[in-house]
Amino acid sequence: MKTARLILACVLLFLAIPRHAAAQPVPYQRPVETAPQPDSIGGGYKLPAVQKPLPRAYWLQIVDVVLLGGAMAVAVWLVLSRRNRKWLVWLSLGSLAYFGFYREGCICPIGSIQNVAVALTNPKYSIPVVVTATFFLPLLTALFFGRAFCGGVCALGAIQELVVIRPVTVPRRLDWTLGLLKYVYLGLAVGYAIKPALTRNFLICRFDPFVGLFRRSGPPHMLFIGGLFLIAGMFIGRPYCRWLCPYGGLLAWCTRLARRGVTITPDKELDCGLCVEACPYGAIEAMRAVRRNCLYCARCYDACPRQRKLVQIS
Amino acid sequence: MSRRRWAWISGCVAALCVAILIADYLAALRRPLDSKIPAERLRITAARLSRKQRDDRAAWVLMAAAAAFLACARQGARPKVPKPARLAATMVRRPPPPAVAPVAPEIEFSAFVEDAIARLGRGKESAIPLLQAIQAHYRYLPDEALRHLCALTEITPAEIAGTSSFYARFRRSPVGKHVVRVCHGTACHVAGARQITDELRRYLAIPEGADTDPARQFTIDEVACLGCCSLAPVLMVDGRPAGKLTPVTACEALRDDV
Repeated sequence: MKTARLILACVLLFLAIPRHAAAQPVPYQRPVETAPQPDSIGGGYKLPAVQKPLPRAYWLQIVDVVLLGGAMAVAVWLVLSRRNRKWLVWLSLGSLAYFGFYREGCICPIGSIQNVAVALTNPKYSIPVVVTATFFLPLLTALFFGRAFCGGVCALGAIQELVVIRPVTVPRRLDWTLGLLKYVYLGLAVGYAIKPALTRNFLICRFDPFVGLFRRSGPPHMLFIGGLFLIAGMFIGRPYCRWLCPYGGLLAWCTRLARRGVTITPDKELDCGLCVEACPYGAIEAMRAVRRNCLYCARCYDACPRQRKLVQIS
Repeated sequence: MSRRRWAWISGCVAALCVAILIADYLAALRRPLDSKIPAERLRITAARLSRKQRDDRAAWVLMAAAAAFLACARQGARPKVPKPARLAATMVRRPPPPAVAPVAPEIEFSAFVEDAIARLGRGKESAIPLLQAIQAHYRYLPDEALRHLCALTEITPAEIAGTSSFYARFRRSPVGKHVVRVCHGTACHVAGARQITDELRRYLAIPEGADTDPARQFTIDEVACLGCCSLAPVLMVDGRPAGKLTPVTACEALRDDV
């Protein structure tokens, strides 16, 4: 208890250090007729320099795409070949740091649905090749190996993946019904995106629950909803990914054609059911991983006693 | 200091930070009392700057505290799967029951077969009744008895081989004390009869290619349909059915006879 008190005291002290810059004194009375000018404000006020943020360098955008593809390749290798969860967690931490906190959640394949939809319907809308690549790379990966993007690369997925502590089992029928929401969301997002330019609205970006957390600013209600998602995510595995993510819907369609996916033990399954208990996403049915729901978290490998022994041997 | 304690502490710190952020947000919403202009609350004042700085710090502390909370709470929640010493230890197996003595000495074969031939005749037309009689007596067709049969009747070994392999109910290998019929009809197949069978084979340590365990206690028979699809997947142990199986309950259904 002593340590607890000490830590709380330190935090309070840190928060309370009075180091705020003095606001500039305002000598005039409001309301005023004209906008206050530097000389009328007085007090040595200087106009801040006009900021001209430059667009991100083209080669850096290419680097983003290369990193996206590379991270997916690593995720596929870790899950299908190495069967290792520990490294996958490190990969998703890295993705969260880069695509989430450094790139501030933009550009992401989820939002690129809207750009692609606009580009398909409006010939005047120019779409950078980087955006197209961001949209198609994860779908292509899903077509061959399943939802590797969700497991190791997606920043929105990673932040939810890391908060899963005590997941409860959602009844299968409820899970399925809520899963339909993502197709409704996908339809709405595309519908609003392909409207004429002035009434166009990118719903996915506007109602992205976690981008405000990545940027540490944003509309207060979205920050609040993002916080609620994370708190709920401690007990329900990745609620946004399973029930709302429109890109997840597209990926689920692609995985129906996937050549390979997560197989829980490399040879004959033991059918002990430990993996079913370990899966927080209800993606194991009849003791086999369902590709369209499997989020590539590799928890099933971690829970499988046989698996761990086999991997250690090989 | 236990992880649990750390989880509580970091959780409290995170909650405190959230409280500070919410309080500052509400304070920012409040319009200055002396102003009727909505834009007035956007004015950069000393109070606003200090709030902003405090909130920046609170956000960083919140992230650190949340990360610490997750790290501590997660470690506590994860059940440890004990790592087995050997791969074979991961297989669920019962200890093998004591081996059963060989079925019968050779003399008994000749006595029973001669008796059956006397009852059923020694022509080719008696082949099936004779095989049925032998199978009814020994529960399978022992090679010794068949050789004896060929020597004493007009039936050739080729006919015996043809007949006994054509009819599925004749079997040439010894049968276990109990016969487990696992249904592989359409409904049971869809409901996972293959998994049930595999689990039973592992449970009974039945070798690849055989259908009876080494101790001759159980024979697993994959049958076409047991006629109770509503109970799928289903099996029958010596005429006693068990339905709506899972790999675990399938093994339990056999446990009474072990």
